[in-house]
Amino acid sequence: MNVEKGVSPVRKTLHNILAVIFLGLLAFLGLAISAPAAQREFTFSMAYEIPGLDPQKANSIPSAVVGTHILEGLVRVHDGKILPGMAERWEISEDGLVYTFHLRDALWNDGKPVTAHDFEYSFRRLLDPATAAEYAFAAYGIENGKAFNKGEITDPSLVGVKALDAKTFEIRLVEPMDYLLGYLQLMCFLPTRQDVVEHEKDAFATGAEHMVYNGPFVIKEWKHEQIMILEKNPRYWNSDAIKLDRAVIHQVYEQNTALNLFESGELDMVDIPSNLYEKYATEGKAKVSLTGADDWIKVNVRPDPKRPWLANKDFRKALAWAIDREEYLKISTKGLYIPNLRYVLPIVAGVEKHYAEEYPLEYYTAKADPEKARAHLKAAMDHLGIDDPAKISVTYLIQDQEECRLMAEALQDQIQRTLGISFNVQIVTRKQRFLQEGQADYELVYSGWGPDFDDPLTYIEIWGSDISHNNSGWGNKEFDDIVAASRKETDRGKRLALLFEAEKILLDEAPMIPLQLRRRAWMTQPGVSGIVRPFIGSDLDFVYATVEK
Amino acid sequence: MTRYILKRFLISLLTVWLLVSVVFVLVRLLPGDPFSSEKLTPAIRANLEAYYGFDQPLHMQYFRYIGNLLRGDLGFSLKYQNMPVSKIIADSFPYSADLGIRTILFASLVGISLGVIAGLNRGKPLEYLCIVIAVIGISLPDFITGSLLQYFFGLKLGWFPVALWRGFRYTVLPTLALSFYTIALLSRIMRTSMLDVTGQDYIRTARAKGLSTFRIVWRHQLRNAILPVVTVLGPITAAILTGTFVIESIYAIPGMGKFYVLGVQNLDYTVILGLTAFYGIFLIAANFVVDILYGIIDPRIALTGRRN
Repeated sequence: MNVEKGVSPVRKTLHNILAVIFLGLLAFLGLAISAPAAQREFTFSMAYEIPGLDPQKANSIPSAVVGTHILEGLVRVHDGKILPGMAERWEISEDGLVYTFHLRDALWNDGKPVTAHDFEYSFRRLLDPATAAEYAFAAYGIENGKAFNKGEITDPSLVGVKALDAKTFEIRLVEPMDYLLGYLQLMCFLPTRQDVVEHEKDAFATGAEHMVYNGPFVIKEWKHEQIMILEKNPRYWNSDAIKLDRAVIHQVYEQNTALNLFESGELDMVDIPSNLYEKYATEGKAKVSLTGADDWIKVNVRPDPKRPWLANKDFRKALAWAIDREEYLKISTKGLYIPNLRYVLPIVAGVEKHYAEEYPLEYYTAKADPEKARAHLKAAMDHLGIDDPAKISVTYLIQDQEECRLMAEALQDQIQRTLGISFNVQIVTRKQRFLQEGQADYELVYSGWGPDFDDPLTYIEIWGSDISHNNSGWGNKEFDDIVAASRKETDRGKRLALLFEAEKILLDEAPMIPLQLRRRAWMTQPGVSGIVRPFIGSDLDFVYATVEK
Repeated sequence: MTRYILKRFLISLLTVWLLVSVVFVLVRLLPGDPFSSEKLTPAIRANLEAYYGFDQPLHMQYFRYIGNLLRGDLGFSLKYQNMPVSKIIADSFPYSADLGIRTILFASLVGISLGVIAGLNRGKPLEYLCIVIAVIGISLPDFITGSLLQYFFGLKLGWFPVALWRGFRYTVLPTLALSFYTIALLSRIMRTSMLDVTGQDYIRTARAKGLSTFRIVWRHQLRNAILPVVTVLGPITAAILTGTFVIESIYAIPGMGKFYVLGVQNLDYTVILGLTAFYGIFLIAANFVVDILYGIIDPRIALTGRRN
């Protein structure tokens, strides 16, 4: 291999110098390519695929999580605070019925300006019966919103939303809603552009390139059921405040798999299932917050000669006091969920602080009160002419999730032990439970509610006697009157005081027995900061988060 | 031969049509309905039902569905907005098929080999070892093997990735986990079949002729013994290729498996029907391929339609 034999020393040196320069260039290139730009990337997983990203048709939390990061409405709610969004300022009329929003100069990611017409179009689209939007009811507070959605009127321009000009958007309400601004964070109120929707037709929002974005991120890639990659939107009006370059969302159905992926470093954040909550809590790794979900046992109080006790208030109170909330929550959720000793979620907005801080109430106790329970039962039996509790039998309808099963078993044990009645549990699929509930085909049912807006009214109003969600057969004139009066009240303090009265009536009358408030537990890798877990609409906010590895 | 194929094709069409029709009725008998949810009001339910055509009489819905099916239109999912069922299948099937093909190839290789070894070593410790492996494989449910492999080899030892599907290394654990049962099953069938064939006269003749063991096994025993395995491989291939819920969930593989479960959970009628039709057609095709393979492996079948 002596090819160099006979080559002059000068040429040899030249070869060597060239070789060194060449290798040097290679090394430099290699370094340049292999040294990655410091990308701040946040990776997490979702258990369920996003059913869709069409804002007006969205009906689920996964959709809202992504939706609030790729789109922005009139306002943006972050960590409970209402921040200007597409609207940089607004005015509210004295009677609280007219909201005028002044939009900033913001652009969609394709360069077109965001205009008041986009919002007018989106709000009308939400209420249009042809859209079949599940959340259309959220806009029923708008003038003619309900009538348009029910098909009673057909002219969309009669609905109380109007683009006064390209940068001014007006909403006219039927009655004052001082919680409206926070309400507008819901995904159904996020804007879509008419030309894009009409051009894409059925394909709208089904893929990354089938929609336009005005939020902090855009969708770079979307492989359904597998992965979604979001990238920082350079055209977002506040892009300087966004510290993440990318967000990666994996679809991982199995909770344990997500945990294993977190433990192996693939995910930056993971939700902890309730059966493992204790383990991570004692290790100090779990973060917790309320999810907003409020659960209770709903009773069908319609008079029924075969089951006369259900219509009896004392009997319902007996059940409520016989339940040991602390115990059954420990058994079924290892303490992740906490007892609800009143009705309304304590952390909804009050006047200045949280509702529960300004209107405190502990109606029930975390542990059972067997004496009170038996006293109520005796009163009920005396009134109904029943001498033996064993003659009383109730059926509790639940859905077939493991958690519900464990809870129901514990409740059955507690109630049968304390009261001596027969407490049966009927397990059906989730869909069937909703169907039966809607048809009032139950005696007791495991029910609950998640908040749509940050106000006690979201929990109170569903017990109105004319509301379709109230299938319990319970109706109370005083309750209805108080709620109706609260809707006309423009002073927030007075309004909340009225709602507090309504809450007490509800607890006194007991068409429902409060059970628990749900909490979520999660972990993040060290270096992840700025993650917020809201309890309304979306359940994850990483808009202002950052990841330092 | 053409008449045979035509007849098979027509019977297959009839089978699929019957299958779809029965499921069409059955899903509507399931308790609950697709739109029931916490916040649904009657007015909004009416809008949803009109949108998806549920306000029409049942027989109209049926004819519309069959008509669309003949044109290859499986309709839209009731849960995922504007998502054609055919797209759900087209997007997820390649992943299930990928995992499935790897599993079938691996399981066949190992399963058949184990069965052959067991069959040739009657009464020796090697045979008992193969039987023990087979029994363990059949007894362990897939969520146990899947989770154990993930925990030990993925998380604890770090030899393989924990989950997801992004390259060859990601395929090893799921393929292993999914293969266990099939390996066990195939090795048992192969062993029985081998013992059956070994007792036959023509094998004794071959031995008397002085042929080497390898030649006897490869040319004569295997080919005759493999027919029962081929029979069973048809339905197994169809089942594995069209998605397996447990392994795909544990390893976060975006295959078709979870739609069987989610479809029923969500009462997503169109997805359930679409998957049923797809699986049915696949199974029929797989059985058809098995029939053809019979003819190739044992020419007597192609000629007379019978083995003897």
